[in-house]
Amino acid sequence: MSGSVIQEKVAKLLSRQNGKPVLRPIKPLALKNEVASRKLKKGEATCVTEMSLLMACWKQNDFNNTVCSKEVSVFYTCVEKAQNKAKGKQGTQGRLLPKEANTLLKRFPNLSSEI
Amino acid sequence: MAASVRHLLKPWTPSLCFARWSRYNPYYLDPDPSKDARVPDSELSPEQKELQELKTVRPIKAALSSDTSSPFNDPLISKFINMMMQDGNKILARGIMTQTLETIKRKQVEKYHRSPAAKRLEIECNPYTIFQKALENCKPIIGLASVQKGGKSYQVPVPLTDNRRRFLAMKWLITECRDNKHRRTHMYEKLSQELLAAFANEGNVVKRKHDLHKMAEANRAYAHYRWW
Repeated sequence: MSGSVIQEKVAKLLSRQNGKPVLRPIKPLALKNEVASRKLKKGEATCVTEMSLLMACWKQNDFNNTVCSKEVSVFYTCVEKAQNKAKGKQGTQGRLLPKEANTLLKRFPNLSSEI
Repeated sequence: MAASVRHLLKPWTPSLCFARWSRYNPYYLDPDPSKDARVPDSELSPEQKELQELKTVRPIKAALSSDTSSPFNDPLISKFINMMMQDGNKILARGIMTQTLETIKRKQVEKYHRSPAAKRLEIECNPYTIFQKALENCKPIIGLASVQKGGKSYQVPVPLTDNRRRFLAMKWLITECRDNKHRRTHMYEKLSQELLAAFANEGNVVKRKHDLHKMAEANRAYAHYRWW
């Protein structure tokens, strides 16, 4: 229904009947069966404060791990939390990831020609 | 003529074998070969209950022939044996491991009988606990990763996953025992010496771990070059 309306508008933009055509497309005016991948947002380094505390403790106690066990455990908990956050964060906020969208489109593509 | 025809009758095996990754669909669950009695439902936390329910419904991968239901089956020891194995000679690797554990036990029992009664309680005789403690002492806490920034590559201190740390500890132990020994000492002897030294926080492997920590500490200024 609305597809034909869009096709008519496109045909009007391309036609030479009303003077020069508005559009002069190089590539065909059709959607591709894939989505462009999003630029990976650069995060910051996680757990830097815990790491620096641990290294300070090491420097004082000559890299003895039994003495610094508290800093070590704090560091491990921080690392685990960061890992869980990184794993869970990716596919939320309602939108599909570009990779997932591409997989779906590959399985159910827009047919551009009859088979 | 029989020889030329025979090669057609051999079963076809692919020339390239993917040794690293398993071919299983990730939908399959890992097998649990232990014969422990089933804990009644009241004592399970909600996640464990979910896991039990999944096990009744989902398909499960086939168990490896090295995972037995015997109480002597230790996944850490199995992993170490697999890492020691060369050219698929599991029998030899397992033999070396049992000899190592036996040597450790003998040394510790000798030490136990020779020491005065006051010090006897401190001496650990169980070779499995010695192995686990020694491996714990060899595991690095922070590793170094090579990060390229502005055309130059820097060694950046980075937290490591548990699997990576276990792998590094085992790898260091094995390479140390293979390289730095007299040609006439057996592998099991050298391994037992290294394990006992690591248990006491001495020896070359622990020194290597400390060297890594020192390098990480020296490069701590580059820690912000990480983006993960």
